[in-house]
Amino acid sequence: MNHTCPSLNCKIPHHTFDNITQITNQTNIMKRFNKILMIALILISGVGLVVSCTHKNDPLPASVVTGVKISHGKHIHLAGMTLGDTTQWKFDKVHSAVNWSSPFLEVGADLTGKFNQFGIADLKDALMQNYNTTKQPVPDTSWAFYENEPAKTHFAGYIQTNQVNTGEPGRDGGCLITTFGTTKIVAGTQNLTVSNVAHIKTTSVAFDPLSNGYIATFDFTWQGGGSAQVTQSISGKLTYIPETQVPGATYSDFGLKLEFQINKADFGINNTEVADKVNIVVNANFNNK
Amino acid sequence: MNNSFLAYIQKLEAMAFFSGYALVYTVILFILGNRRLKGKLSDRIISFLPTSYALISILFLGFQLKKLYPDYSFEHIQLTIQQPFLIIWGFLPVAFLIPALNKRPVLSLLHSCLFFYFVASDLFFQAITPSADNNIVKNDMRVLAASIILNLVVPGLITMLFLTFNYLKKHKPVIVKKLVNSSFILSLFNSKNHK
Repeated sequence: MNHTCPSLNCKIPHHTFDNITQITNQTNIMKRFNKILMIALILISGVGLVVSCTHKNDPLPASVVTGVKISHGKHIHLAGMTLGDTTQWKFDKVHSAVNWSSPFLEVGADLTGKFNQFGIADLKDALMQNYNTTKQPVPDTSWAFYENEPAKTHFAGYIQTNQVNTGEPGRDGGCLITTFGTTKIVAGTQNLTVSNVAHIKTTSVAFDPLSNGYIATFDFTWQGGGSAQVTQSISGKLTYIPETQVPGATYSDFGLKLEFQINKADFGINNTEVADKVNIVVNANFNNK
Repeated sequence: MNNSFLAYIQKLEAMAFFSGYALVYTVILFILGNRRLKGKLSDRIISFLPTSYALISILFLGFQLKKLYPDYSFEHIQLTIQQPFLIIWGFLPVAFLIPALNKRPVLSLLHSCLFFYFVASDLFFQAITPSADNNIVKNDMRVLAASIILNLVVPGLITMLFLTFNYLKKHKPVIVKKLVNSSFILSLFNSKNHK
């Protein structure tokens, strides 16, 4: 059977018409397949895009406050010597230290040392003498600490320069004695004479605006390599390690840490074994035994 | 760095060349297959897709040769190529320059689907194991984006070349016509090859 094509006014064989219909159907199926595939591909890519989103354009979260949270308690520690009185705080010399460090030959790593004999006492002229004792020559009571009222805080202290200890006996008892312009240790005595002590006394203590500590300003007095004492006003950082009961004991302990720097050349010390700038750290422990 | 890492890198390289083609192909076919846009040019652009895919495969071949340079010994090839089947699969589209295969663009789509499958599978594993490292999907998406751009640029360039030669053929005399009528260019753009 033939079909009539109205536009061409001719007869078209039936099988040709069937072929055209078949091709049209195939094209439609392909188009539909293509559309479904396209949607699937776009969807998968879209999901991938969301999953792999790095959020780089998101606004950054508020920055973490890195500053130290400053808070001061109300501890008050006052010096005393009466054993058993827990309101009186005693200097624990055995568990304290005065350490120093300075770059070796002014360029190397730090050369470090400490002073074996020191105390917390205000060395007035009358007290600056030789003491025939192996214990603390003067009471370590020249201090007071007010955690929340730094203006009331004060302290004074000293070191005996011939008691320097770098771990090398030849150096400590030899060249350093000469450098410090002092005399060698005499057994059984505590030498607090002018030429053998360096001492400090606070002139003001204030809150450190940048930390939880304090800024202590004090007079540093030392004869050093010179012929007369030199006094210099120096500022250092004072840190309070709060009072805590010692585990397993009936007493408490607190600490003070003072860090400062001196220029040894200002005190007549001119050797080049260490740099002029000498860092000093005082770790003082107190208890109320 | 071990072999599995190198194999992963080579998979990504192959995906960068071929994974975007499926998306480009279906979108172009969808847009240009629209009755309103139907015309000689749109038909021609669609017919260029397998050729452009073949050109991308040639680029991939060149990339592999560049990686092997200057040592093309069998040992070096064996050592360098960690994904031999994938690399061979990547070379296959060169065959779309053969007119008989060029007439079947759907084959190029099927070929590219393997590379898109890698993207889909990584996405699937990321979905079922949220603890998995989503850097893999990030890499896939970056590579897919690069591949889509490549697969858009190459047919675009071919179309532009075709239009330029067509224009020159119609408007320039003698020398250009000789050039345009040269057998190689004719073989590329001869309408009898594309239906």
